[in-house]
Amino acid sequence: MFSFNFRLWVIPLIFLLSHLAFAAPMGFEGSVMTMGDFNQNWREIGFNYAITSRDALGLTHLEFRSDDGKDKRQVDTLNYTRLLSRWNSTDAQSNLWLFMGLGEVRGSANNQSIESKVIASPGFQFDYETTRIYFATTHKLYRASNLNHDTTSIRAGFSFYEADYDKTQPWFILETKYTNQMSDKIEVIPMLRMINKNIFVEGGVNNSGQPRLNLMYTF
Amino acid sequence: MKHLLLVVSLGLSFTSLSSFATPSYKVTVNGMVCSFCAQGIEKKMKALSETKDVYVGLKNHLVVVEVKDGLTLSQDVIRKIIKDAGYEVKSIEVSEHPIEHIKSGTDK
Repeated sequence: MFSFNFRLWVIPLIFLLSHLAFAAPMGFEGSVMTMGDFNQNWREIGFNYAITSRDALGLTHLEFRSDDGKDKRQVDTLNYTRLLSRWNSTDAQSNLWLFMGLGEVRGSANNQSIESKVIASPGFQFDYETTRIYFATTHKLYRASNLNHDTTSIRAGFSFYEADYDKTQPWFILETKYTNQMSDKIEVIPMLRMINKNIFVEGGVNNSGQPRLNLMYTF
Repeated sequence: MKHLLLVVSLGLSFTSLSSFATPSYKVTVNGMVCSFCAQGIEKKMKALSETKDVYVGLKNHLVVVEVKDGLTLSQDVIRKIIKDAGYEVKSIEVSEHPIEHIKSGTDK
């Protein structure tokens, strides 16, 4: 069985609204960013602490499974996030991010338990954003002995209107995502994104009819 | 007549002093496009003991810092906070108006 106990996730979720590799993956210096990404086959929660304006350290717990539910993985990693480069212009900002993760993977293959292994999860993200449009591409490796669950994600969208700093801004975001050795499908997820200062919420339904929720909160 | 002139000039002096005793800094910032990402600017500015209030305007690319009565704030500090938050300061103007006045768009 996929060891997902919904109650165990909901309680921390209330306190630790979240998000992972989308928008800025870390907050301002001294801030704690909590994140979560939930759908039927992929559940991820984590947090990071920005030790400088460009560096953050954090922990992530991830569970994912194949479409038929026979292959399952649980991944716990210690993560380092680095803002490699940022370009600011009058109406836009773009960023290049580096992710480094190291931890443990457990799980099962064809319902047979697989031994615990060391996993490395380096990755990159490039994003470009104005007050009206958003684009991000993320490639993250999940590599362990005989395991390769690299993920690639592309996100693009637009805001319905320009909102000021203290107002909620709604966005339409379309994401495509592929996870190696877990699914033959490319997941396509149209989502509604709402941002209000330190609260970030996204929700949608993917091309398999499964709902998805992304949350993020910075404090 | 001399007394009247004295009273008027004293009045003007006090008005002028009180205006400049509480300056606001209007900072034009490049790259500030998202409230989720710009919140660090507001938090760090508000944490300064000299700060009375802060306004962040995404549409007009402005950060306005209003300083408490009788205090001043170094422009270098403002620049450093905005740079450390990941943005670029384009210009800083000192305004004699409070934030509410500047938000209303009448501070031209």
